[in-house]
Amino acid sequence: MHIEQITLLGHKDHGKSTLIGSLLMSTGSSTEERVNDAKKTSKKLGRRFEPAYILDAFSEEREGGLTIDTARAQIKYKNKAFEFIDVPGHEELIKNMLSGAAYAKTAVLVISADMDEGIMAQTKRHVFIAKMLGIEHFIIAVNKMDAVQYDQNRFYSIKSEIEPYLDSIGLHKQKVNFVPISAYKSENLVSKSENMSWYRGKPLMDLLATCYNKNGANDNYVRAIIQGTIDTKNGVAYTAKMLSGKIEVGSKVKVLPANKNVVIKSLYVNGRVAKSATKEENIAIDMAADTGNINGNMRGSIISNSNRTKAARMVSVMMFFVKPIKNKVELRFNGNAVEGTVRIDKVLDTTTGTVKDDVKMPLELDAGECVIRLKDKVALEEFSSFRELGRFVFYSGNEFSGIGIVEKAIG
Amino acid sequence: MIEQNLSELEGKSVYILREAKERFKNIAALWSMGKDSTAMLALARKAFMNKVPFPVIHIDNGIDFPETYEFREKLAKQWDLDLIVQKSEIKPEVSGYACCGANKTQALKKVMKEYGFDALIVSIRRDEHGIRGKERYVSPRTKEFKWNYKEQPAELWNDYWRKPEKGGHIRIHPLLDWNEIDIWNYIKKQRIPINSLYLARNGMRYRSLGCTHCTVPVESNADSIDKIIKELKSTKKEERSGREQDKETAYIMEKLRALGYM
Repeated sequence: MHIEQITLLGHKDHGKSTLIGSLLMSTGSSTEERVNDAKKTSKKLGRRFEPAYILDAFSEEREGGLTIDTARAQIKYKNKAFEFIDVPGHEELIKNMLSGAAYAKTAVLVISADMDEGIMAQTKRHVFIAKMLGIEHFIIAVNKMDAVQYDQNRFYSIKSEIEPYLDSIGLHKQKVNFVPISAYKSENLVSKSENMSWYRGKPLMDLLATCYNKNGANDNYVRAIIQGTIDTKNGVAYTAKMLSGKIEVGSKVKVLPANKNVVIKSLYVNGRVAKSATKEENIAIDMAADTGNINGNMRGSIISNSNRTKAARMVSVMMFFVKPIKNKVELRFNGNAVEGTVRIDKVLDTTTGTVKDDVKMPLELDAGECVIRLKDKVALEEFSSFRELGRFVFYSGNEFSGIGIVEKAIG
Repeated sequence: MIEQNLSELEGKSVYILREAKERFKNIAALWSMGKDSTAMLALARKAFMNKVPFPVIHIDNGIDFPETYEFREKLAKQWDLDLIVQKSEIKPEVSGYACCGANKTQALKKVMKEYGFDALIVSIRRDEHGIRGKERYVSPRTKEFKWNYKEQPAELWNDYWRKPEKGGHIRIHPLLDWNEIDIWNYIKKQRIPINSLYLARNGMRYRSLGCTHCTVPVESNADSIDKIIKELKSTKKEERSGREQDKETAYIMEKLRALGYM
């Protein structure tokens, strides 16, 4: 069955892991042993029962009361399946947050109602990143309502405080739902809370059910990424992974960035001769070019019949910097590395959504409108037209430094 | 237990196996003759034109079940596997944490060094254990085989390339996304041979297989693959509830994995 992947977002200590632990229990999705283990650990640490320990399995996570690395939990609700991805809320653990959030299509942003300092910078930054990653649906869960006597004014003041920020980064109101909850007391998670009768909307899980499998399908163009070569009975073939569309023996496609027109001569799926292959399948193919030969190292090349797939050396991109970069970076598109230089045109403050006036290198936890110049041409596509070919990670000085999305191929 | 889409799971695992083969010079896989590592070999056959293109290692402490050895010989022949058996020491007085942590890990270190493997395919799944749930698809180990779980590399968007430190290696986890029930659905669909100990005899069956010292069977009447799948649909018990080494003290799996255990 389809499993909708949902990432949690939000500042540390606002209750992301507690929420997932609570959901696991109230939907009966965890085993008794894991719940008992969490109970035992809580007791041993002299604390009240903490549902977060169902996910926070490391000793440091439990004793320190923080999530260090992502964890996933699958929950079935009203015949729909969801996978919740827990991520750390700490600033310094943002690369782990990215590793989790990058897979989701829907996000639940957790904001604690029991806070005096207003909406935290890290909360806003998480929303910025999620929007950049292409997450389409947002649910904002105002948590710990039990700690503020279920006060609706508190809920509405948080709502009106974050709305201008959502507006400033271009998140439309129709795509955002708000729900007041108590994760710890399991209120407004799967059923309506009597303590918050002033809330007229649906409980959290029912809001998520309306986002289930709602993401638009891709177009039907063929796209495949070449991984390497393999020996077959009829000689060497290229291995590739189908990303979209349907490829057939006889299909006329383009190989980029070499920009060669080719015909598919033979095709294998999972080690067997086949006539066609579709999305998700891993194939081996033999190709013939119109002119010249197809040979050499093709790893990272893209097979496509869409004119939106381009070979480019200069690309306009949006980048999020986890760490400051040096002049030269290594960009990896689907794991294939190419060297490049970055020109930063505009720096965006990810906690306000506004352009920073004084552009000072190096950047950290900021985003930038940039132009990258690559050493070699790379096959890619705009993120808005096909995500898998329009995103990359980058390394500077052999260290993971951030992520980026393609806005436009310049040339 | 949620049943996931088998062709999506297969597609992702085959991709990761091919990436691993493409990226690392000298890879091997661990094969315990259990359901997961056997399903992984079936996936490798799909990825590489019906032939597993890397050696498979059995860390043998000499006290696995007779059925397990029988199954090893049969399948190694049938699938033409390049099998490496590495004996591990066993002392009768040592069991559980000490045994898995010291004996088996020592044997693994020895065989990795002897053959100079730079990457090792291990068939763990996220749903097996809270600690395994924190793993990456591609995960570095130090030369002491330590898992630095506080400093895991970022892993997104098919970027699985990691360089092992000198003397260290990379663990590849192609089955991380699979649930226990998915493995059984796949075994059924692909008719993958299995160790007969998984099937119930006299009201008991092994749900997770280790050696004879530390593994106990669970109550079950599931004497066919269909019945196992049916049983798993409604179970509230942990898969590894019959495995002693998971339980001795708190955080035992964390300690074992930090030491280099599988």
